[in-house]
Amino acid sequence: MTSIDVHHLTKEYGTRRAVDDLTFTVRPGRVTGFLGPNGAGKSTTMRLVLGLDRPTSGTATVGGRAYTTLREPLRHVGALLDADAAHGSRTGRGHLRVLAASNRVAARRVDEVMEQTGIASVAHRRVKTYSLGMRQRLGIAAALLGDPQVVLLDEPSNGLDPEGIVWIRELLRGLADEGRTVLVSSHLMNETASFADHLVVLGRGRLLADTPMREFIDARVRPRVRIRTPDATALKAALARHGHDAVDHDDGYWTVHHARVDDIGRIVSGAGVPVLELAADEGTLEQAYLDLTATETEFTAQPQEA
Amino acid sequence: MDLAPVLRAEALKVLTLRSLCGALLALFAATTAFSALAGVSDTSDPEFDPLFTALSGVMPGQIAAIAFGAVVVSSEYQGNGIRLTLAAVPQRGRWFAAKLAVVAVPALGVGLVTALAALFAARAGLGAAAGGLTAGEQIRGVVGCGIYLMLMALFAAGLTALFRSGVATLSTLVPFILVVSFVIGDAAGTVADFLPDRAGQTVLHQTYEGALGPWTGLAVTALWTAAALLAGFWRLRSRDA
Repeated sequence: MTSIDVHHLTKEYGTRRAVDDLTFTVRPGRVTGFLGPNGAGKSTTMRLVLGLDRPTSGTATVGGRAYTTLREPLRHVGALLDADAAHGSRTGRGHLRVLAASNRVAARRVDEVMEQTGIASVAHRRVKTYSLGMRQRLGIAAALLGDPQVVLLDEPSNGLDPEGIVWIRELLRGLADEGRTVLVSSHLMNETASFADHLVVLGRGRLLADTPMREFIDARVRPRVRIRTPDATALKAALARHGHDAVDHDDGYWTVHHARVDDIGRIVSGAGVPVLELAADEGTLEQAYLDLTATETEFTAQPQEA
Repeated sequence: MDLAPVLRAEALKVLTLRSLCGALLALFAATTAFSALAGVSDTSDPEFDPLFTALSGVMPGQIAAIAFGAVVVSSEYQGNGIRLTLAAVPQRGRWFAAKLAVVAVPALGVGLVTALAALFAARAGLGAAAGGLTAGEQIRGVVGCGIYLMLMALFAAGLTALFRSGVATLSTLVPFILVVSFVIGDAAGTVADFLPDRAGQTVLHQTYEGALGPWTGLAVTALWTAAALLAGFWRLRSRDA
């Protein structure tokens, strides 16, 4: 097993608690989305897992071992932390060669990952001439260099163009399908929804949720049905008979809250209401997340210091 | 401890940064050129010391050695590169040892070649004025000069690890060497003799007075260097990257 295990992890900077008694496990074979507003402690947690920062208390292990005890860590764990980690005066290829040498990774892997991340054509250019998207790809190439079982990426879609965003989505899915452990932080909800199977949500350094994504959404967003009809009176009457209420929208459609499309479909067809359009309005991750953070804000609005 | 792969990576880092190769080239060029110039200067001064005149190019040249040591370390602190480095080599002692090796070995190698070239360049101009130098003194001067340059490069590397900034190191060391040491340096026989650069420079002189000889002087510089390296390593170990 190559899980990431975080156990009662706490990190204080001075008096500020960046990470507060976090416990969660990131399992292999799925993409875990790591969500939270800026400053929630996502990057700090990643640095603690990588042994870059020392925890105030608690532990973080990869495959049961502390990261700093790994001999050639890049062969086990690949990470993208900052897009600007590569020295601007080195070529992209030179940057990766250095990393490969330090962990005795075969030199051919350098060319392979540059090919895989689509930066083979700029391999011999200096990193300072790279666009943000290319730097991001170089950082991802560095993470994949040692063919690791565990991959941690901090905001990997930063600076990527639409094509790059599709590419990273497929890359992450592919890594998880190969049985790897994939942890991806992001503050972009729609983006995360497109690749994550599981979610770990932080707020002010604390764990707010650790659930499968679908469950997370279903538990927080009530389903809605969207319907369009030329006969609003008949629609309202039919719905009212079954205890539903429809809300009118300017652009000519109605929304039925707290309802499933299967039920509403039966009701309106049974009543003979002419229907032009009938669709399920699925809850989005964004709605679920905002719902969660709204309750959290209420909770944390109370005085913190006792 | 398996140091070889880390050493190879650190050596590659030096070779793939043009500014570092440039600093070593500047060390050679500046030292040799200034020594050659000193070789054709006036030699009638009663305090004329042929060995120090021949190696005097080291005075400006050492700034390149300091810059080399500082930049090897400071290049890691650009854009949080240190995080990537320590994620690849999480054992910080192992990494720091490899880093110091790639400062020390090139600085010593280039320093020895430079000192030899400077001596020959200056002697071409000095002619008979350098006739009094024995072979032993010249070998001592060249070897001592190489070691001195290596120690200064390491001193700068240690300070850079301590400050986590090359700019801070260079703006401390360069004025120190150019101004402080120069101004209070003439008060010989005082504490000034024990300053990191002055102490080590005793080895560059044919004749010397004061508390320190050529090798004890280098030992004092080595102590300063060791202190800077320990301080730098303490900062590296204790700090979050």
